[in-house]
Amino acid sequence: MPRQSHLSEITYTPESQLRRPGRLFRAMGRDLLASRELAWRLFVRDINTQYRQSLLGIFWAFVPPIAAAVGLTLASSAKVLNVGATDLPYPAYIVFSMALWQTFTESVTGPIQAVTAAKPMLAKINFPREAIILSQLGQVGFNFGIKLILIIGLFLWFKIPITWAVMLAPVALLHLIALGTAVGLVLAPLGALYEDVTRGLTLAMGVWLFFTPVIYPLPKEGNFAQIVRLNPVTPLLSAVRELATTGQIADPQSFWLASLIAGVGLLLAWLVYRVAMPFVIERMSS
Amino acid sequence: MKNMNTNGSPSLKSLSESDTNDDVVLSVQGVSKKFCRSLKRSLFYGIQDIGSELTGKRQSSDTLRPNEFWALKDVNLKLRRGEGLGLIGVNGSGKTTLLRIISGLIKPDSGSVRVRGRVAPLIALGAGFSPVLTGRENIYANMSILGLSTQEIEDRFEEVVDFAEIGDAIDAPVQTYSSGMGARLGFACAIHTDPEILLIDEVLAVGDIQFLGKCHRRLHALRKQGTAFVLVSHNPQAILSMCQDAIYLHKGKGIAVGDAETVMSQYESDLFYGNVSKTAGVMQFPKRSRSESLGLDLVRLCFQNPAGQPLEILTTGEPVQINIQFFVHEAIATLNLRISLMKEGQTVVYLGGSNDKQMFQVSPGHHELQVDLPQMGLAPGTYTMRVDMRKDALFILDICESFHFTVQSNGSMSKSIYYQPRTWKLRSVESQETAIRS
Repeated sequence: MPRQSHLSEITYTPESQLRRPGRLFRAMGRDLLASRELAWRLFVRDINTQYRQSLLGIFWAFVPPIAAAVGLTLASSAKVLNVGATDLPYPAYIVFSMALWQTFTESVTGPIQAVTAAKPMLAKINFPREAIILSQLGQVGFNFGIKLILIIGLFLWFKIPITWAVMLAPVALLHLIALGTAVGLVLAPLGALYEDVTRGLTLAMGVWLFFTPVIYPLPKEGNFAQIVRLNPVTPLLSAVRELATTGQIADPQSFWLASLIAGVGLLLAWLVYRVAMPFVIERMSS
Repeated sequence: MKNMNTNGSPSLKSLSESDTNDDVVLSVQGVSKKFCRSLKRSLFYGIQDIGSELTGKRQSSDTLRPNEFWALKDVNLKLRRGEGLGLIGVNGSGKTTLLRIISGLIKPDSGSVRVRGRVAPLIALGAGFSPVLTGRENIYANMSILGLSTQEIEDRFEEVVDFAEIGDAIDAPVQTYSSGMGARLGFACAIHTDPEILLIDEVLAVGDIQFLGKCHRRLHALRKQGTAFVLVSHNPQAILSMCQDAIYLHKGKGIAVGDAETVMSQYESDLFYGNVSKTAGVMQFPKRSRSESLGLDLVRLCFQNPAGQPLEILTTGEPVQINIQFFVHEAIATLNLRISLMKEGQTVVYLGGSNDKQMFQVSPGHHELQVDLPQMGLAPGTYTMRVDMRKDALFILDICESFHFTVQSNGSMSKSIYYQPRTWKLRSVESQETAIRS
């Protein structure tokens, strides 16, 4: 029944929320905490919905990396594609790298998909907007977990040695996901307004893949190598791969720089997402 | 009306003085909101607004950009614990926009909204329902979206299922539910969140009559416990039975505020009749042109006594006639009349032409129809009468939505809910008794 004590009081005004940063940050923190349970419910709901209507279930998570590995390995062994020497056997390299890249892609497209899917809810109910993002991140993690089974299988099959540093690989992976989520969070409000964003993003992710050492090892020299090095995904993705195999991050400086970009970017992107959403919701039909 | 007013009225000052009142759970002050009719521009303005919000430049604005209009302009209202406020107005008058601002979904362009406590929107019934999941799973997801913790949901779970009358179907996927079941479940979830403020937007149309009655009872109970309401409805009865006060929005402006009855009658007179006048118990309808008419127009409506004199107040037990005058443009083969006498949204008496096998064949011209009630059976109180005239069963020719009237007691009506006509007789039975004994 209505609780009379400690009624929370909220005031809605037209002024920019950034004029009172203290209040805004407190509200952000509070909502993040408040959204944990809801995020979990939404995560459970979405996973259940997804797998209850599927006969093959998690099989679909295995297919894309395997398909890519088979195709690229064939192309490579037929000398159609010349990617140079990799630290790992090429099929394992491809499956592992593709799994990482897909996790990154999912974390970029995740917020946009989450906002699109939750439109009817967003337009009508005021719940912490962080919840749908957290729930989406949960799915990214869940999907990676499934792919991990495949990766472990391949590591065992090819008898790839690992070191204790593999324990640190999840940290680097989190940085990679943070970077992807930062990009996704900035694009999510825009994507809900303009469809161009979704279309452009599909194209951009395709191009981005070519400038990331996923299907080829990190190039050593040349203009192309320069571009690949400037790509913030490169050091993060390489770091995960290196920690899981050699145990040494080849370029720690770039890794920390990219991590810093990811961390600061994520906070700023969260801020943008949060203050932009009311204007987006205004333009959704209720 | 003391606790609400439209912009510019002198009582605005006293309104801010009473701000200290702890009972105020919602206060809307001078809220305006602009919208854009062109989609392209609207999206562009969206980007612009996000930009100004991010740079911290955005503040209260009173100017319209090209293609914009005021969806809300200077709306004021105040709501205290346990109060009900009706929000009325034609479609597009800004009712839903106001509710969206109150619930914090969108930001006002000027003015401010202060909310104390949890606001539950009875707007999106079953938001987030996933059709392939079971009712049980959906209750958890839905109530979680409405802001309850898992513990709180578990505490209420049984109550929700009972209220929704879902029974065993709770473990079946929601897509196998009938639309009524789905709506009932959504309503049950929303109403069990125990909010301080309930925003109800035209949702009381779900389910069958029985469930509707249950919803109304639940809302009344919540109100007794101190929940405040904002109710949007086109049904005058719903507003009148649940709200003391009402605000009438027209093109975004609050053009009338006050007690629900007065505001409602202004709204109805604007909406239905243009300039209907009601004096001394007689309702006069304005003349319609042929193009506005659907073939039959009401002209005059009243209750009258057997002598033909209009009655302002009816008396229980007395004879009364319902007198309906109308003008017919084209001959109608089966004129079907339906009269409902209602109290607090519930029909108390229904007089249907088709039920009584009383269909009329009418020729063009003026007519008068009279329904004789030999004894007024209604208990003392205020009622509304709804009259609709149809061709066959479906085609509505003209309607009088609400004719308010009062019934007074004849002095012998206490403890009764309707008037039972009766006569009392005393007879001596001695002769019979002796006849039986012998």
